[in-house]
Amino acid sequence: MNSSLQEIKDKIGNNDDFFFQRDYLGEFPVVLMAFKTLIDLPKTKKMLQTNINNPFTINKTLDEFLTGIGEVKEQDSKEAISSIMEGKLIVYLENIPKFVIVEPVSKILNRAIEQPVNENVLQGPLNSFTEDKDTNIGIVRRQMNSDNIQVISLAVGNDQKKSLSLLYLKDLTNIDFVHKLIDQIKKNQDKELNHLQDLSKILGFSPWVAISKYHTTELPLEAVQFLKKGRVILFQDRLPFALVLPSLLWDIFTLENDRNYPLPLTIAIRGVRIIGLLMTLLIPGLYVALVAVNPEVLRIELALSIAQSREGVPYPALVEILMMLVILELILEASIRLPRSIGPTITMVGGIILGQAVVEAKLVSNLLIIILAATTIANSTVVGFQNSLTIRLFKYIIVILASIYGILGIVAGMVLVSAYLAKIKSFGIPYLNLKFAKDGIKSG
Amino acid sequence: MYPENIIASTSEGHWLAILLGVIIHFVVISVYMKGLSFFPNRNIIGIYSSVGKGTALFFLIPVLLYFLMVIIITVRAYSEIITIVFLSNTPLWAIMALLLFISTYIASCGLETIFRTGILLAILFLPLILFIFFVSFQNVDWRYAIPIDGNFQFIKKRDYLESFFAFSGGYLFLGFVQPFFSYNRKNVLIAAAVLIPFFFFSVYIPILTFGQATASTFFLPFVVAVDAININWLMFDRVTMFFIISLIAFVMLFLSLVSWKTIRIIEQFIPSIKPVYMLISLSVIIFLFCLSVPDWKDVEKLFWWNTILRFYVLIAIPISIYLIGIHSKRKNQHENI
Amino acid sequence: MKTYKLAAIALLHFCLLFILSGCWNNKDINHRVLPVAMGISKQDKEYKVILKIPEPHQGTTQIKIVSATGTTITQVVDKISMNMESSVDLLHVKVIIIERETAEQGVKDIISGFMRARDVSAKALVVICDEDLDEFFSKIKKTTGPEGTTLFDFFEKNAGWNPQIALTRIWMVYRSIHSYTHDVAIPLVKSGKSTMVEQIGSAVIKNGKMVGEINSDETLLVNAFNGEGIQGRIEVMDHASVLIISDRMEHKSKLIEQKPYLQSQINIKVVLLETRGDPSTKVIKKELEHLLTNRFNLMFTKFQTSKADILGLGQFYRTQISRSQLKFWRSKYYPHLKMDIKFHINIQNEGYLKTSSD
Repeated sequence: MNSSLQEIKDKIGNNDDFFFQRDYLGEFPVVLMAFKTLIDLPKTKKMLQTNINNPFTINKTLDEFLTGIGEVKEQDSKEAISSIMEGKLIVYLENIPKFVIVEPVSKILNRAIEQPVNENVLQGPLNSFTEDKDTNIGIVRRQMNSDNIQVISLAVGNDQKKSLSLLYLKDLTNIDFVHKLIDQIKKNQDKELNHLQDLSKILGFSPWVAISKYHTTELPLEAVQFLKKGRVILFQDRLPFALVLPSLLWDIFTLENDRNYPLPLTIAIRGVRIIGLLMTLLIPGLYVALVAVNPEVLRIELALSIAQSREGVPYPALVEILMMLVILELILEASIRLPRSIGPTITMVGGIILGQAVVEAKLVSNLLIIILAATTIANSTVVGFQNSLTIRLFKYIIVILASIYGILGIVAGMVLVSAYLAKIKSFGIPYLNLKFAKDGIKSG
Repeated sequence: MYPENIIASTSEGHWLAILLGVIIHFVVISVYMKGLSFFPNRNIIGIYSSVGKGTALFFLIPVLLYFLMVIIITVRAYSEIITIVFLSNTPLWAIMALLLFISTYIASCGLETIFRTGILLAILFLPLILFIFFVSFQNVDWRYAIPIDGNFQFIKKRDYLESFFAFSGGYLFLGFVQPFFSYNRKNVLIAAAVLIPFFFFSVYIPILTFGQATASTFFLPFVVAVDAININWLMFDRVTMFFIISLIAFVMLFLSLVSWKTIRIIEQFIPSIKPVYMLISLSVIIFLFCLSVPDWKDVEKLFWWNTILRFYVLIAIPISIYLIGIHSKRKNQHENI
Repeated sequence: MKTYKLAAIALLHFCLLFILSGCWNNKDINHRVLPVAMGISKQDKEYKVILKIPEPHQGTTQIKIVSATGTTITQVVDKISMNMESSVDLLHVKVIIIERETAEQGVKDIISGFMRARDVSAKALVVICDEDLDEFFSKIKKTTGPEGTTLFDFFEKNAGWNPQIALTRIWMVYRSIHSYTHDVAIPLVKSGKSTMVEQIGSAVIKNGKMVGEINSDETLLVNAFNGEGIQGRIEVMDHASVLIISDRMEHKSKLIEQKPYLQSQINIKVVLLETRGDPSTKVIKKELEHLLTNRFNLMFTKFQTSKADILGLGQFYRTQISRSQLKFWRSKYYPHLKMDIKFHINIQNEGYLKTSSD
């Protein structure tokens, strides 16, 4: 037995789903190797057989024949193993030190293209990205149908290979930016890639940035539109969404599907999202500031009714609101964790029973419940879940500042948040950039 | 505070006083920009250093002192105003700490951040300020604007000279931003022109609401005038507070800009320290200094001292830049020949 | 490791923030007492302050009246605050009620005090009370319902305000103290029998002192003259009653030999409501013009004798009298002012019925 064959066997032969069989390819003795769980064995064998019996192959030399069925490689056990891991069939020639990587008929391990799960589409195209990267790229190509699209694939990771694909439009995207991105990935090619934090590490972003530096989308329509704006799309294998780079502030408010409505409606919808963002940030802080520090701002009627609703509440406004906000976060978190069938229970317990009881028991004021509801609703209007998380976090900063400085604290918080947003850059492109595409054309 | 100074400086024909200030402002900006345009892509620190170390020291040290004073006065005065207007329970040091902390944070992020923050803040707060400006015409009695004939008595008044703080603070940054930003000279002038109505309104609204005799008894005339606004449909009662806090948002930005400029100058002389550390220590020093100012009278005294420096900055810097510019241009021409 | 260090520092700051936020005594709104009205009377050298406080109590609001005396108003408020279970916050005082005798002695100090300390909003209304304050407040307590803001609603322009009531805020009074040419009228009230407050008329305030009194019909004219809007006011005459819809004014001011002359024309649009007998529109017009002119002239002479320029007539002479001379407007020019007022009545419509035109 060949040494490299032995090596392969030693390394992965203990797996029960490892398939190792001696066979004859025409008159040559070969060894077929693959994972049973990854390829459809009978069909693959049949395919090989038809290849051999093909009348065109009879007159060919061995080498020609081998290149006909797959990629011929020299003795390299490492590459063989990684190919097996990827779900390829290895045809090992026992007499000559060569092996062929054959593209097999693989088992269907992907789900079909389905409706988006995390994003809802109203009156728009309904298909969404899946876990399979190649499918995703295909979807994009189908959606865009232009010879301008450029796809660059890179593999990352030592122990486990993950592949990344970059998509961009040749004549719209800032080429400098693309090169920077590719160089950065190549520099960190040996790092592991499991989740987006790893990706951030590979791209050299600070892990402590509170804002997601990628805009994620499940919808091909959105992704294509971002391409047209000169952004780069990153597909990571096994992640069912596109990562858009660079992510900009304006993305929080815009959805391409908005443009399927008349223009005034588009503007109105986006306006609502902006109001939602501001409300989420301001209202809890405003409550604390007005109740605890600056009650003179309220009209007298309002002040009296608030005072009345807070009658008997035993702790300061800050504690009150923080407590309820935390409970609210818990409800949100719990409803994600739970299976879909018991999800509504949480909503009921959290929303109706707890909300009512807490007010009845005079633990918090009526007004606070209204404010919390408004905040939560407003928070959900922004585009992209990762963005709404960010805003949820900023809200607390403003609440705490408001408890110390009142209304001044709110403004200080706003200034701080603005400055923070203004500071963020990815590959030299500021987060607050409004006309990225235009710059892209200039320099590209 | 600007309206207070103007109203105190003359009892009639305030428009003349404002107009004079605005004109001086325009002349200074134009000269300054003309001078700077001789040196594309260089800031004033570079310009002065190119002439010689002595010149640099001679011109930049007063500017440095001026900036420091401006930061101290602004922080101190605005925290005092905040305590008077709405946060009467909060200790002064806490407000000063907040102002300084935020401006230091912004300044540490660099000039681009300052500008981008400025745009964001303008989007957020300018509508509010404009709205308050419009509703503040509610109680106006136009007949108080009369008599309009003025004289130049006010020039000699200390109050009038002090009022120039409103003009001298902003424009110097044009000289600092050069390597980072390029700007259009026309746009700068337009921006300055847009500000003119605000100067006028801020003085005339209190006068038109209360009359000169009453307005001159106020410490912050415009704030009181805004305070007298009554809007029935608004759920909030005191519009003043919204006005002041939106102003303060911009004050924080202004502070960060000035401290950034200050750091740039210090960096020129002591390049060994990291700018961030320098910025933090600068803020701490300013904070301590602010704490040691005991009362409003001392703030006013500081203000008066600063007036001398202010006029130096207002006059000497633009003219010197202009002259150096012409000089170097001639030299270049000679060399070219 | 670095990240953990950072996290620790962040946590420390967070704790610090919490300590800080409890550092100075910011009191929550339900621990503050928010008086709506404040009564002030001066007895000898002491101020007596009465506060009307709405207190939330098991779902409804109850009115509480508290009073104390002291040398300054702030001291009195402090005293009340000390003796109450929550601290008194003057931020929401909307109505300041001053006793008549106090007003006659002068309210300059009180008003300046309010303008200086910004506790009380400059927008608070000033009212003069024509009876003993204790009595006034105790009657109010009896007649008011559970809302707590009633006294304030009585004067609020979008609630219970009528054109017969002068509407004067603290800053206007303050302006009149310092202005050369502008005085104010302050509503004069007392407690009513069936309604909470009964409006008597207005007090004429000159330089912070009450110098005269006008009735509510005259107040209406003052309001009309100051452009406060007198829409919806019903005017009763011998032969008819009319509803005033709008008014517009034109003034011509002249200064001849240091004597001011003023020609004013007030155009009033009315709607006919009720007639007695069968008067023609011409008669009604004439009657109304006559009535108003007489009333105005009577009132104006009253003002001139007390040298109080409530109508702000001096404002019309700002172009003609130099500023240094304007100081003496009240004493030198105003008493000699010749005023020629003309009312011009337009009957906009006569309702569903026809009325003969002559």
